[in-house]
Amino acid sequence: MNHYPEVWGRPRDDIYGPYNSSYLQTTGPKTHTQSPAVTGTSVIAVKFNGGVAIAADNLASYGSLARFTDVKRLRVFGDSAVVGFSGDVSDMQYIDRLLESLDIRENYSTHGNMMNAKNLHTYLSKVLYKRRSEFNPLWNHILVAGFDEDKKPFLSSADLLGTTYSAPHLATGFGAHLAIPILRRLFPEEKPLEEISKGEAEAALRECLKVLWYRDARSLDKYSIAVITAEGVEIKEDQVIEAQSWAFAESIRGYGAQVN
Amino acid sequence: MARVPMQSLSSPQGRIFQVEYAQEAVKQGSVVVGLVNKTHAVLVGLKRNAEELSSYQKKIIEIDSHMGIAIAGLASDARVLSNYMKQQSLGSRMTYGRPIPVDRIVTQIADRAQTNTQHYGKRPYGVGLLVAGVDEAGPHLFEFQPSGMIHEMLACAIGARSQMARTYLERNLDKITNSTRDELITHGLRALKETLSQDKELTVDNTSVGVVGLAGEEGKGKIESFKLYEGQQLVPLLEAVESGETKEEETMEVDS
Amino acid sequence: MTSIGTGYDLSNSVFSPDGRNFQVEYAAKAVENGGTAIGIRCKDGVVLAVEKIITSKLLKPGANKRIATVDRHVGIVSAGLVPDGRHFVSRARDEAASWRSVYKGPIPVSALSNRLGSYVQAYTLYSSVRPFGVTAIVGGWDSEAELAVDGQVGSGPKSGSGGKVDGARAGGPGLYMIEPSGLYWGYYGAATGKGRQAAKAELEKLDLSSGNLSLVDAVKEAARIIYVAHEDSKDKDFELEMSWISSLDGPTHGRHEEVPKQLLEEAEKAAKRSLEGEDEEEEEVAKDGPNQGERMEE
Repeated sequence: MNHYPEVWGRPRDDIYGPYNSSYLQTTGPKTHTQSPAVTGTSVIAVKFNGGVAIAADNLASYGSLARFTDVKRLRVFGDSAVVGFSGDVSDMQYIDRLLESLDIRENYSTHGNMMNAKNLHTYLSKVLYKRRSEFNPLWNHILVAGFDEDKKPFLSSADLLGTTYSAPHLATGFGAHLAIPILRRLFPEEKPLEEISKGEAEAALRECLKVLWYRDARSLDKYSIAVITAEGVEIKEDQVIEAQSWAFAESIRGYGAQVN
Repeated sequence: MARVPMQSLSSPQGRIFQVEYAQEAVKQGSVVVGLVNKTHAVLVGLKRNAEELSSYQKKIIEIDSHMGIAIAGLASDARVLSNYMKQQSLGSRMTYGRPIPVDRIVTQIADRAQTNTQHYGKRPYGVGLLVAGVDEAGPHLFEFQPSGMIHEMLACAIGARSQMARTYLERNLDKITNSTRDELITHGLRALKETLSQDKELTVDNTSVGVVGLAGEEGKGKIESFKLYEGQQLVPLLEAVESGETKEEETMEVDS
Repeated sequence: MTSIGTGYDLSNSVFSPDGRNFQVEYAAKAVENGGTAIGIRCKDGVVLAVEKIITSKLLKPGANKRIATVDRHVGIVSAGLVPDGRHFVSRARDEAASWRSVYKGPIPVSALSNRLGSYVQAYTLYSSVRPFGVTAIVGGWDSEAELAVDGQVGSGPKSGSGGKVDGARAGGPGLYMIEPSGLYWGYYGAATGKGRQAAKAELEKLDLSSGNLSLVDAVKEAARIIYVAHEDSKDKDFELEMSWISSLDGPTHGRHEEVPKQLLEEAEKAAKRSLEGEDEEEEEVAKDGPNQGERMEE
């Protein structure tokens, strides 16, 4: 023990070499907005004949801790659009408030001119891009599902950099690795949208969520699924993954009794 | 009347004199007419030139591909408003990727105009506008006044001698509402013609026509972009007015 | 008005020797020429209605709305200078939005009215502005349910600290009227504009404080009252516009909405019938008034 409090409780210089105290520096730019804290994992979505289906589990993780298990990561906008969020949950709440006030403004006048999912996606991507340009990104990767101005199914993505892309099926986070291959097998590029039914799309999402529950350690077996059609949005927020079979896990190294 | 504060209410009915004087500026501007049917909105205007050799004052301004305005009154005030409208339209396309709804942009300029009637050190705009446009709710025509009043109209005329045009529009309102695109233009030009004094007539030099509307059957949900007809493009339109009250349709095919 | 011409009436923020602010009084004059606007507050909701004089045949029927939505649960109707009414509504929307950003929930109707009262009052204080030429009726429904916080993610604990309180009920209808002076009161039934005297007399007959009138009946009464109030300016055509806000389990689910077309037509029919019953000999004569495009009141 010496009379330099800043070295108390730290590795001794004489044994471990000089201590790198640069992280104690109090000046310099803020960095806490540049990494997420409480996060949601994958969102997955598929277009089908006459609409779009989108799903996400109900978990918000704090690091590896499954902190909140009843979180709604699908947000309905107006009567025909759904936004699915992965990434930082507090940033999601902020964006949700933006959407709320946008929705209120949209409803000031009553007749026609409702904002569609495509308009919404354009808006959100601009918000995300603006924030990344300020070095203060909103740490989210979002999917926007609904219809475009021609009433055709619309599905597009925007991430924390403001990058956008679109495809007949999309997934964020781990889903981009685990769900997309499944969706590509089920709905190959050459298969026209007209041949994909609502039921098939919904079943595919449930199947993907099950695989994610098996393999993504930050996922949950409780999830929400929304189906958007011309009739409106049908959202179910208390779904449970059924018919699980963990038999495959026996062959995984490090699982259960098998240690090596 | 000495030293009346700029923006104050006055007895006996709570009128605001500054606003009423601004309305006079609109009345002195040359006439513009606007009208809508179920698919299109049309603006027509009578252009004035200061002298024989000078050019004519612009009366119709395109704001965006789905909207245009016609002006009566101080052209420089109109430019301030039209620039603002252009900015707002572009802003909507940039942020949301959609054309701005017509009622929204009209409310925005009206709110700006209202501010000028309530705060010291400002004067009301000395210009009246007719705003024609299409959005998801269909074609629209709005009248804007310096007072900040806005009205959605089926047909309207503002500017010098516009009462004659309004009389024509009122008389033919049913026909106008149920007209075709080309008939609508002809009705607009006829209403405009009503306002002319004896020695004047509509020519390719002094007339302006703006048309915007929903595209026909082939382009469902698409629009026919705002188009300004000036100079020689007006020949067939003016001929349709001349060619009597009966057969407008056939002669008009040229412009569709 | 004996002080006209003495100069005290020309500037805002100046008292005349007998203690009056003439600018505010003139603003009230503008209101007196506006189309009648009323609000009825009943147990399960609020109704707003306004008489819109048709100043020109060329106006598009059914367009040109005069009742504005401020937030999901609040509506405003005003009488007087229409552009001032829009300014008022725009301020109300800003207040409602700013409340949301601070408190993460909808603004109570009482708080909104209070803020708007202060805003309007400020326009009587300075010589650089003129007062609002409107009297506005603010109607809304404060949610009786325990509201999810704006942007909330989970449902929270089911009981215990931070949990739900069973059977707790709050909220309800709100109706306020704000005058050009900034003065405002809460009302069971409020009326302003040209036909306010007749409308008030009718509202008083309804015994609203007893809470026996249902929302749907209030819609019909509101239509009738506007028709009664219009009797004095019978020579002019008018359009009736109505909106309502019900409780969460009512027809609008706590939202401010236009009264559905069918109900509106029904109410108008009933209103016309009740008027015909009163004076059969008088025929329905409706002619266009003179074109009054320059006027700012409607």
